[in-house]
Amino acid sequence: MNAEQVIFYFFAALLLLSALIVVTSRNLVRSIFLFFVTLFSLAAIYVFALADFIALTQVVLYAGGVLVLMLFAFMLSNKELLNAMEPAKRVFKVKHYVGIFISLAFLFILLQIFTERDFSQLEWIKSGSPISKNENTIHLIGIQSMTFYLLPFEILSVFLMMALVGAAHLARKDKKI
Amino acid sequence: MNFYLTYILVASALFVFTALFTLFAVYSERKISAFIQDRLGPMEVGKYGSLQSFADILKMLQKEFIIPKAADKFLFVLAPIIIFVSVYLGFAALPWAPGLVPASLNLGLFYIFAILSVETLGILMAGWGSNNKYALLGSMRSVAQMVSYEIPAGISLLSVVMISQSLNLQEITIKQGILSLESVKFFGIWEVKELGGFLAWNIFQAPHLILAYIIYFIASLAECNRAPFDIPEAESELVGGFHIEYSGLRFAFIFLAEYSMMFLVGMIGVVLFLGGWNSPLPNIYKLPLASWTTGMAWGIFWILLKTLTVVAVQIWLRWTLPRLRVDQLMSFCWKVLTPLAFLCLFISGIWRLTMM
Repeated sequence: MNAEQVIFYFFAALLLLSALIVVTSRNLVRSIFLFFVTLFSLAAIYVFALADFIALTQVVLYAGGVLVLMLFAFMLSNKELLNAMEPAKRVFKVKHYVGIFISLAFLFILLQIFTERDFSQLEWIKSGSPISKNENTIHLIGIQSMTFYLLPFEILSVFLMMALVGAAHLARKDKKI
Repeated sequence: MNFYLTYILVASALFVFTALFTLFAVYSERKISAFIQDRLGPMEVGKYGSLQSFADILKMLQKEFIIPKAADKFLFVLAPIIIFVSVYLGFAALPWAPGLVPASLNLGLFYIFAILSVETLGILMAGWGSNNKYALLGSMRSVAQMVSYEIPAGISLLSVVMISQSLNLQEITIKQGILSLESVKFFGIWEVKELGGFLAWNIFQAPHLILAYIIYFIASLAECNRAPFDIPEAESELVGGFHIEYSGLRFAFIFLAEYSMMFLVGMIGVVLFLGGWNSPLPNIYKLPLASWTTGMAWGIFWILLKTLTVVAVQIWLRWTLPRLRVDQLMSFCWKVLTPLAFLCLFISGIWRLTMM
């Protein structure tokens, strides 16, 4: 095993382990902080897929944005309310069936893809990686999103605009009539 | 194997640099504050008190680690490390001289921006882990402030990126001096590629970037929790903010992170707006000052000089201006800085299309 493989397996193991602890831990704050480890090791794995832009976006959006938002929501909420949310002792309860069903279905899809596809025979793996290690990926992303993916790009920007207007509307003080 | 050795050497060199800079900056901060307030400052240890910060760090190294009984030990111990490492990692992508950059990343600027956002998480961790109401309030104020001020800072940085068309900090620097491969225009009209010097800096290539730099500078003050934006550690209200419970070496790490952050944001501003390692002296007809003063050693000298000047201005502002109130802070960010930053971005786009 060379150094890259060691690092890859290290981050993969860290990802799985921290994700497991996030869902099983009883301490909500600790599990949010551990979620950061999960997201960060996922970013490291993106780097191995030569998707450095995605990796950094992952860190900015999830570690710097979503996680901080979650922590804020947690810290601003009532402590009694959180204590009332005791984690259930039994896993197989009626209200858990939906979650169990969804996760099993997702596992099934993943397993099916994994068994049916012969990965070594895939077109884009046989032809070798289309991008090299030192390529300026952000130029490619920019050109692609302004030409080939222009419609999804614009729809996304309209969607973000809607979210912004909605947030401004919610944050506004009620006018007294 | 040599390959990895170089990495370790570069990393330790950067760490030594941040530590030495912090010692130096603490001393100069005390001296500058003393000068502003018409005092003498530290005078006892060494000549003019010059060994004061060494004495301070010696004291800190000997102190006991105190962990409060009700604290979340795991988070409490980990927080200073995360705060420092996130700032320290930012140094990896900064260019020091022509051909001298620890890691020349194509996404350098975005990388620094991403890794600095991890610091907010460390601060929240410290605040929550201490289990102290002042620490929690301080960390929440700090994070609210950092998250809001990231927006004008990021947008003013983007307006530079639009002008120089690159996120690689080394490339952005090269485009602001005599080593540039493209044409460099002073205010978009006068070709100054041969002249170089301060005429080729980004703020003089496009005048609206002066406004962008001012916005970035103000926002960067808020991001390192410096006065006039020091409400997270307001001594008179919160005792000490998020690091109130820390002692000894752990406190030293938070301190180190704060001062390294000052240097880091100053250096990002210098690289993007003030020409990075390019010499401020232009080539004047038969006197090629810019060509003489461009090189490895000169590069390090210029960037250090420029960044230390920016840090000195940060210190000067801290001891001159009073602290802002929370509502003033937020309305200043969202109602003044953010619209102005968007205006800069807009002008950058038009400038790029019409003047370049």
